[in-house]
Amino acid sequence: METYTYVNIFETKGLEYLLLISFLVLFVVLVRYLRGNADTANRH
Amino acid sequence: MKRRKFLTLAGGAAGAALAGAKAGAAPAVEEPATEFYGVLVDTTRCIGCRACEVACSVEHGNDVPDVEHDGALAELRDTSERQWTVVNRFETERGEMFVKKQCMHCWQPACTAACLTNAMYKTREGPVIWRSGKCMGCRYCMVSCPFDIPKFEYDAWNPKISKCTMCAERLALGQKPACVEACPTDALMFGMKRELMEIARTRIYSHPGRYVRQIYGEHEVGGTGWLYLAAVPFEQLGFRTDLGTTPYPEFTRDFLYGVPVVLFGLPALLLGLNLLAERRTQP
Amino acid sequence: MSAEPLPLDPRPSVPERSFFRFLLGELRPRGKWLTPFNLISIPVILLGVGILVVRFIYGLESVSNLNQAYPWGLWKGFNVITGVAFAGGAYVITFVVYVMRLDKYEPIVRATVLNGLLAYVFYAGALILDLGRPWNIINPVIGNSFGYNSVLFLVAWHFMLYMVAECIEFSPVVAEWAGWRRVRRVLHSLTLGAVIFGITLSTLHQSGLGALFLMAKPKIHPLWYSEFIPILFLASSIPAGLSMVIVEGTLTRRAFREQLIPAGDRAHEEIVLGLAKGACIALFVYYFFKALLFVHEHQWSYLGSPWGWWYLLEVVGLVLVPCVMFAYAVRHRRLGLVRVAAVLTLLGIVMNRLNVSVIAFNWNSPATYHPSWEEYVVSLTVVFAELWVFRWIVRRMPVLRASPAASRGE
Repeated sequence: METYTYVNIFETKGLEYLLLISFLVLFVVLVRYLRGNADTANRH
Repeated sequence: MKRRKFLTLAGGAAGAALAGAKAGAAPAVEEPATEFYGVLVDTTRCIGCRACEVACSVEHGNDVPDVEHDGALAELRDTSERQWTVVNRFETERGEMFVKKQCMHCWQPACTAACLTNAMYKTREGPVIWRSGKCMGCRYCMVSCPFDIPKFEYDAWNPKISKCTMCAERLALGQKPACVEACPTDALMFGMKRELMEIARTRIYSHPGRYVRQIYGEHEVGGTGWLYLAAVPFEQLGFRTDLGTTPYPEFTRDFLYGVPVVLFGLPALLLGLNLLAERRTQP
Repeated sequence: MSAEPLPLDPRPSVPERSFFRFLLGELRPRGKWLTPFNLISIPVILLGVGILVVRFIYGLESVSNLNQAYPWGLWKGFNVITGVAFAGGAYVITFVVYVMRLDKYEPIVRATVLNGLLAYVFYAGALILDLGRPWNIINPVIGNSFGYNSVLFLVAWHFMLYMVAECIEFSPVVAEWAGWRRVRRVLHSLTLGAVIFGITLSTLHQSGLGALFLMAKPKIHPLWYSEFIPILFLASSIPAGLSMVIVEGTLTRRAFREQLIPAGDRAHEEIVLGLAKGACIALFVYYFFKALLFVHEHQWSYLGSPWGWWYLLEVVGLVLVPCVMFAYAVRHRRLGLVRVAAVLTLLGIVMNRLNVSVIAFNWNSPATYHPSWEEYVVSLTVVFAELWVFRWIVRRMPVLRASPAASRGE
């Protein structure tokens, strides 16, 4: 039997955008953390 | 250096184009439109005599069940490589129901899309058949089928994939499938799917309390050749109702369509990166 | 190429003797017979060959627990699908060395390409062993039956073309070994083209292996099924490949110590740390992709079940944890920790690939599958056989040690 109900396919979009922004921020943090070694080594 | 670069680029592009031609989506071929045949299974008419099982096995040289004595209805069975259809009994709120299980002969079969040798093949009349000479036994059709129908002869050195063929050979001779022919109560009806849909709808509307208002196979997996009518919701009869209405080959469509894009774009991108990197390392 | 003189190849240049006699000489076994590796691998290989004879006479059922609900088991799930992910180091390293011209990683590129080539050859072999009718594998090749609509068709063709590309990439090493100088120069000029071709093919078949499961939507547990499986497989093949290079590099440097120059150790440390950086970032991206899917597909509802715990073990324990480990180890130059993280990453990849193809496959069916002892033995046989070939090649060809051409400055 078919039923007709409201379906919101964008329900979690807000959370997803937050996740993406935090990913981008953390990505920059991570690359700088990994590079920190090279910067100190190059100073020798 | 310049000529070498040109040769490697040309070689890479030619190789990519060749691979793209082989692996890219083939253009649609214009064929005269044909109507598919199918079978309508009215589970309210089935009495569980299993004459269909016997007829099917006799027709194809499989294991013929001893329906009088084997008591097989006591538990739920699946089809096997030596028995292409089974009838299962279900206790429901409206009494005992019997459901015949076999290949659904989908309109856009997952197995046919999966088969890399075209051994699984959808004929123009509707039946999905397995062609022996091409099969290499990879069992990808088994992975892809949402109904888990294809069965494999694991105990043979030259194994076959085994499933209901909707008696394609009989159809070619103008006959009906063996199971339909054998059914004593007209629970099985053979015909063009379009006509069977009309008959099924008519039955539902003519007998309002008798059937659930759904024809299983109308939309499931994009539509199947075998249609079912039932008196109780289909979940209670062992049917999966979570298979969706998208034809299964469509799930791989985006990936396969993306292949030529990658094959053309990525070599160019990589060569560009390489040229940039070369310029950087040159003093 | 470099300023320091590299050790010259002590053997006389080959044009003075026939290639046939040279090959015969090379075929003689070298090294000790009674090593731990030999003592373990020889019985396993012999047993495996015996099992395969039985398999071909009596069918797959005689040696495996594959059944109608589980058509793909250990051989496909581990040797083929996981093995290909592990061989992903080849396309990453050749990208870094030949496309991006980062010469820092040049010392490992030959071993990595060799491993990639052997992995694909042997895992294609494992696939053939798993087929019901292996002799028909020529059908999709010779044009008898092109199943264009099949993802597996694409994967199969890309497999074959990729092996050709890797052969071309590795062929200069063979030419150096045989002393064919002009041939070597020609082959060397094809390298960039072969590498570009190889990376493109890798991208498609790494993701293609994931795409194989797109049609199995109702049969794979929702925590592991997604329309993005192809991208997930591709993304995870990068840390898988890099981790394999790290682990394999450690083991081969220990096993073939006599071929290495002392100055190479310091350079190799830098290489490992560089690879660890790459693996860290790749795992980070992959983890966030999984997190995105987790939110998008409302997967938190499954966490209460045992499947949920298993999923967390895979994604948090074997993706996030090694990612953090790699980051810390790179920052503090802890090579031992890098290797631990690499092993954890490899375990996570095995777990992921097996989950999608076997463990979480048909999870809602009453049927079960676990590999038979014969399946484990044959799986190991394939791996050991590959290592035997690898050892044979490394002992004779200039893979780990400098090539004579490089030392002559060609």
